Amino acid sequence: MTVKHHPSNETLAAFAAGTLSEGRSIVVATHLSLCSQCRSAVRAFEAVGGAMLKDIEPVSMRADALERTLARLDTPSAVRLAKRKDDTELPMPLSQYEMGAWRRIGRGIELRPVSVPSDNDTRVFLLRAKAGTEIPHHRHTGDEWTCVFQGAFRHEGGRFGPGDFDEADDKDEHRPLVEAGEACICIVALQGNIRFQSWLGRLLQPFVRI
Amino acid sequence: MESTSVIWPRSAFSASVYRQVRERNCARSGVGMDNERRAANEPSELIRAIATQRDRRAFAELFAFYAPRVKSMMMRMGAGNEAAEDIAQEALLTIWRKADYFDPARATAGAWIYAIARNLQIDRLRRDQRAKLHELYEAIEPEGPERPDMIVDGCEREEFVRAALKQLSHEQIRVVHLSFFEGKAHGDIAEELGIPLGTVKSRLRLAMNRLRQTLGDLA
Repeated sequence: MTVKHHPSNETLAAFAAGTLSEGRSIVVATHLSLCSQCRSAVRAFEAVGGAMLKDIEPVSMRADALERTLARLDTPSAVRLAKRKDDTELPMPLSQYEMGAWRRIGRGIELRPVSVPSDNDTRVFLLRAKAGTEIPHHRHTGDEWTCVFQGAFRHEGGRFGPGDFDEADDKDEHRPLVEAGEACICIVALQGNIRFQSWLGRLLQPFVRI
Repeated sequence: MESTSVIWPRSAFSASVYRQVRERNCARSGVGMDNERRAANEPSELIRAIATQRDRRAFAELFAFYAPRVKSMMMRMGAGNEAAEDIAQEALLTIWRKADYFDPARATAGAWIYAIARNLQIDRLRRDQRAKLHELYEAIEPEGPERPDMIVDGCEREEFVRAALKQLSHEQIRVVHLSFFEGKAHGDIAEELGIPLGTVKSRLRLAMNRLRQTLGDLA
């Protein structure tokens, strides 16, 4: 799989630092699960964090801190690891989230909300569009982060196939066209609202606001 | 990209940094290090001792070095003294419990401990029990070893990261530290340093691109 569009280095660093919102982290994690090059970059930034941690001015622990921690070593505790579900349809990072049902929001376009209760500022959803579908012309009023994991679409910024990451801000105006072949499925995190400029777009508007 | 067998070093620039690191390491390995110095340099050995022998002395040594640093990191990220102390103890406890999972081919000990502290910090900020954010970090890794061709050991890798940081200007390091390490918002950094927001953003972008370029795909 050749991934051509990647998150910026600041975005990868912010993911490594744990400072992205959960909604955005889901889209970045989906990309990472499909892109070994960016996984390496995240590890590089974690190594930068490791070096900074080593160099930091230490702050004294309480006098009994070690003793207290030693006393807890033998207390069994379940190490929580991410459950690996064999859900072949979804990339691993997505398979742990609750999702709503697919619903049709327009000709050839379906949306499936992803439940991210901890993140109120971001709407997260899967978007599935049939081959050949043109997504209505729209403008963003916030940032929209998208990662494709099946099929492909094209817009002014190029072709976006599986693994490709698209970071659109409020200056971008897009008119994505889904390629012929299979349906295109992507994960989207939307901050702010999306404003459709066509009559169809205005019809979609209430549905996209999930 | 995928077919390259030895990715490190990637560029001529990286190569020169890499050579410096190599030479420094060779010079150092000839000299007998005292114990304390070795502990600070080889936390990966301590973690292995914990994993294989449940070695409490190794744990105490790791605790002495890392607990006060994790505490400091948490306080810089905005935790109070008590909360930072708790997270630091929790982080070291997690190291004890997860020592088996530490893979020196994948991360330096410092990076691994940093990631543990980061995940605890994420949990602290999102008291919402439904948050699955920290699990995302485990979900991105494919099963099995990713790079069997990796030939650089942890200690060398850390020296390499240090050399990469030295390539940045003082101003860049400062912004990287505040934004990346302390998790401060761009606006707050602009205020703290008395520089325009745009300067914070461009400095950060240049610094991160430079780091990525120097470190290549491997760290």
